Amino acid sequence: MIRQPISDTSRFALFALSVVVIVAGYAWMSHRAHVQNPKNKTLPNLSQFVEGWQRMATGKGGIDFVGDVRASASRLALGVGSGVLLAFVVGLAMGCFPAVEALLLPPISFFAKIPPTAMLAVYFVFFGVTSIQIFVALIGFGIFPTLAQAIAQAAQKDVDSHTVSKSYTLGASSFEVVWEVVLRQILPRIIENARLQIGPAMVFLIAAEFALADVGFGYTLRMQSRLQNMNLVYTYLAILAVAGLAIDWVLILLRRWLCPWFGD
Amino acid sequence: MKHLLTLTLAVAVAGCSQKAAPKGDGADATPAKDLPSFTLAWSEYPSWSVFGVAHEEGLLNKAKGELGSIEKELGVDVVLVQADYEACLGQYANSTIDAVCMTNMDALAPATGRDSVAVLPTSTSAGADACIAVGIDSLEDLKGTATFGLEKSVSQYAFERGLEAEGQNPADFPFRNMDPANAALAMQTGDAEVKSIMVWNPFVLQTLRDRDGSKRMFDSKAIPEEIIDMVIVGKDTLAKPGADKFVKAVLMAFYQVNERLAADDTRDATLTALGEKFSSLGVEDMAIVCEETKMYATPADGAALFEKESFQKTTMPEVVAFCVSHDIVAEEPTVGFGDAASQLNFDASFMKAMSETK
Repeated sequence: MIRQPISDTSRFALFALSVVVIVAGYAWMSHRAHVQNPKNKTLPNLSQFVEGWQRMATGKGGIDFVGDVRASASRLALGVGSGVLLAFVVGLAMGCFPAVEALLLPPISFFAKIPPTAMLAVYFVFFGVTSIQIFVALIGFGIFPTLAQAIAQAAQKDVDSHTVSKSYTLGASSFEVVWEVVLRQILPRIIENARLQIGPAMVFLIAAEFALADVGFGYTLRMQSRLQNMNLVYTYLAILAVAGLAIDWVLILLRRWLCPWFGD
Repeated sequence: MKHLLTLTLAVAVAGCSQKAAPKGDGADATPAKDLPSFTLAWSEYPSWSVFGVAHEEGLLNKAKGELGSIEKELGVDVVLVQADYEACLGQYANSTIDAVCMTNMDALAPATGRDSVAVLPTSTSAGADACIAVGIDSLEDLKGTATFGLEKSVSQYAFERGLEAEGQNPADFPFRNMDPANAALAMQTGDAEVKSIMVWNPFVLQTLRDRDGSKRMFDSKAIPEEIIDMVIVGKDTLAKPGADKFVKAVLMAFYQVNERLAADDTRDATLTALGEKFSSLGVEDMAIVCEETKMYATPADGAALFEKESFQKTTMPEVVAFCVSHDIVAEEPTVGFGDAASQLNFDASFMKAMSETK
């Protein structure tokens, strides 16, 4: 039978197993590479990793970890923030007013289909290449179309018309219906969709940083892989993964806290 | 009976392989898939696109299992891989390819992880790396203005060395990282923040042509024979059987295409072919590019560079010092000239063997 529940102990044991398999598999590959060539840098061993971590901790050897975190985090925050804000306003308007939808949906669904990374050069021309605008624009406009469509759809489908009619009957104004009824009900969907856009947002951030930045995760990843310091590259990738998971988790907590009625 | 059968079989097999051998090639009938096979990765660059031309001209066939004229002659299968420059570096460092085209400076970092031998200098930058500015007339005016280019690369090296050659202190001239293609695009489209860039060809030519008022502040002409484009082979590869033939095939292909570039009747056609493998530039632009990227067109030229005292005693130590001071290498690799024990060995012997057989 499918969906047979398992005990917490076996769940933990299986989790530990997956970690052990990955770590042991990597250690074995790295060991074999070092037997062949003791100076191998592409599959670093533990001592090479430690050396890289020391460089990150001390800021020596051209690594500015704190600067990278600060730069990438502020770019991501501003980009996602403005993208979500724009999508929220436009999406809600499209979901509530068919005229707005008729006007905006065609261009939005058109642009939603163009991968922003494919038109990097266009962004460079419009937003310059030297300041934070380019990152904010790429991330913001990158996540905006999908998010706006999702919010519009939620406003149409997740709020049934009876509720809307009842609110009007009870004397609510249009603004009150949107603000007190529609928004309340679709807020968890908005948070959930914003959470799903964190992945694409990070893709856009790294793509832009690969091309232009002189500080940030994308910059350091590209530079250090060019210099074959894979100990630093793998460490940065792992930190990216952890950061992504942390943002995910924070948004899930936010949703549970703001909308406890929505469930897990 | 058994013996007879074996004999018959042997004769039959011999007969078959005789028949299978392509005509006019009788001596070496080993099928291509049984020949030792080696990979060379190259990226678009005037003196490296030569290998793309070598494929077009039938000298080396880029595919595995298919042979060009040189490969047939030597009995070795050379596989050519075209990739982005950074991808080439990465593949070479993790040993998925045997040989790679890269500069003397970029060779240091991989050499700390994989012992390397430079077998062939292909060209030197003599103007192909240039600092281009808009609205800035003198180096005095450039002080304090950010110049955009690829950090920790030949661009930054040429920038700082070029300033030194002009009697300036590089510390007065900020250098900011940006991909050269994007830096050139930003200047061409008139981005107000990008007043000065340090890029290589084809971006130098493109930018000077497409942006009004842009001018060359200085270029790598001031530092001849310091930025060297080369072919590097892993020491582990050289230990494999047939590796000497592989190196010889690479050298032969490079010099044969260069002969065609030098001969009057084939020059234009070869330049056109080279241009198609290098950012689709036309014949005239390619002629300029090839002037600014001076080829080491003969084995004697190449060997002379590797054995030149100033290259061994001044240039390479300076390049190493630059790489250490700019955190390009964490540990200094040992650099040798004809010294098999060093991590990066400039070995002129392959080129010398070529000029002797001629």
